[in-house]
Amino acid sequence: MPRPAPAKVELLVRRDAEEDFELRQVASVIGYLNSRPRRIDPDSYEISELRSRVALAPGFILKNKTTDRFLLLSAQERFLWDQMDGATSLQEIATAYVLQYGEFDFEIIPSLLRKLQRAQLLTFEPRSRLRAVLARNRGRMIVKAIELALTGLERIRISTHNVQSFFQALYRFGGFLLFTPVAAIACGALAVVGAGAALMLFRDVHDMLEGFGGHALRGILTVKLVFFASVALHQFVHGLACIHFRRRVREFGFTFLHGFVPTFYIDVTDIFMASRRARVITAVTGALVHAVLGAVAFIVAAEAQAGSFTQAFAAASGIIQWQALVVALYPFCFIEMDGYHVLVDVLGVPTLKSDAIAYVKGLLTGGGRAGRGSEELLWIAYVVLSTLSVAAFIAFNAWIIFSATH
Amino acid sequence: MQASADTLAFLRDVRVFESFSDPDLAVVVERLRERDLRRRQVLFREGDGGDEMFIVRRGTMLISKAVTGKVEQVLVRVEPFDFFGEMSLFDGSPRSATAQAETDVELLVLGRDSLQAMTETAPHAAAAFFYAMVQVFMERLRRSTQQVAEATRWGLEATGLDVEAR
Repeated sequence: MPRPAPAKVELLVRRDAEEDFELRQVASVIGYLNSRPRRIDPDSYEISELRSRVALAPGFILKNKTTDRFLLLSAQERFLWDQMDGATSLQEIATAYVLQYGEFDFEIIPSLLRKLQRAQLLTFEPRSRLRAVLARNRGRMIVKAIELALTGLERIRISTHNVQSFFQALYRFGGFLLFTPVAAIACGALAVVGAGAALMLFRDVHDMLEGFGGHALRGILTVKLVFFASVALHQFVHGLACIHFRRRVREFGFTFLHGFVPTFYIDVTDIFMASRRARVITAVTGALVHAVLGAVAFIVAAEAQAGSFTQAFAAASGIIQWQALVVALYPFCFIEMDGYHVLVDVLGVPTLKSDAIAYVKGLLTGGGRAGRGSEELLWIAYVVLSTLSVAAFIAFNAWIIFSATH
Repeated sequence: MQASADTLAFLRDVRVFESFSDPDLAVVVERLRERDLRRRQVLFREGDGGDEMFIVRRGTMLISKAVTGKVEQVLVRVEPFDFFGEMSLFDGSPRSATAQAETDVELLVLGRDSLQAMTETAPHAAAAFFYAMVQVFMERLRRSTQQVAEATRWGLEATGLDVEAR
């Protein structure tokens, strides 16, 4: 009997205008890809390696301590099991699998999910940790209000799936120029000139920020708003890079991440079907938008009248753009941005962050998991560097705000 | 006069009037009102009161039911020669779903008073109307059952839930 097509529901999503709406067909497969399977509590299962003299690859025995059920997992299934932390979607798990093994077996994930469910080793928890904490304290009025507000914001999602032709046209009518040697040289030259301008301005940072005329906070908020627009541009360039490598842009949109972080996003997961070089270039070029905008801003600030609003605005924009460049490309900051994806792709360790955090947490609580020497070194380096970097980032911003207000 | 003739010709292809004789149809035509909606105009919302049913003459109507927040599930698209809103016509209950024009739409409106009058003046026509209506209700009930099954399948597929597991 042929398998039926995935079920679909047709939804009508109302807009702010009284009668305006958008129709969306949502296939069950979309819900499936966005589901986030979670292993049961670590105290409720055990896993041990099973070495065979015949088979080259090791197997693993997974035991549900509550039900006394056992499962035999292959190395690939063990890898997938480790990803099922309740925060990673099936789509992300599949991506990690491709990065790890360089190929994809379309049956392995559904088949493993079935096995794990039968052994009661899995639950599905779609919400973030913040949402889980809020849910636990729902009895308090203020928590309930925050939860409702986050739920409302989470529902705001403006996106379109019909973007491939748009990005193809954008690429054809000039976007391709971004991927030429001339553009790379121009970008480098602009960054050097911008850095020179920034160094020159740095000496008079106090006088410069006085240009906000005693309204430093308002000025900085305006700069942040302009920066927000550049995030959309960042995503656009990711899309153009995807087209450059002849892959498909699947979606572009705006949403509130976790209900409170406004963000633009683009789905360029099709780039995983291209070469590693293509993936790295796609990741890096988006972030270079901030390098270019920051350099231009610093040059404008250097040329502007000292102490004027233009100088203060341009300089602050330059700082925030270059901060964004660093955050996007610098892999050691506990955030999985472009630089992190490049690093894990190059090193071939797609689960670096979660492994490193789990390892260091284990070291601190005395229940750490063992790894190879080089692996352990990488995990420790990741956590130490990320911690120091986050501290430095906070200190730098505090210093900027202090300089602007005193 | 021409408008009435056109409406008469149109109604011959509307399922609930299929077995009407020409004189009976003429009685119906007299009691129908015409109403135009522009694209995206809401005709009525879920919970509104109502005592009329609507026959789509041109365009497409969307019938949707609130699911959560600003999201509604599209239950059905009503195309020309089909009708909607008949539940409130019979029991006077609030509208169970929202009706909104997907395109520019021309409707024919049959009110409860008109139906009552038709029952008195043309009982044979009214009986045919009610018989056809019961058949349509049964079809829609089957479709609703199918929709519930489909929604359940959607949920199972979206969660990957293995219900065959012991």
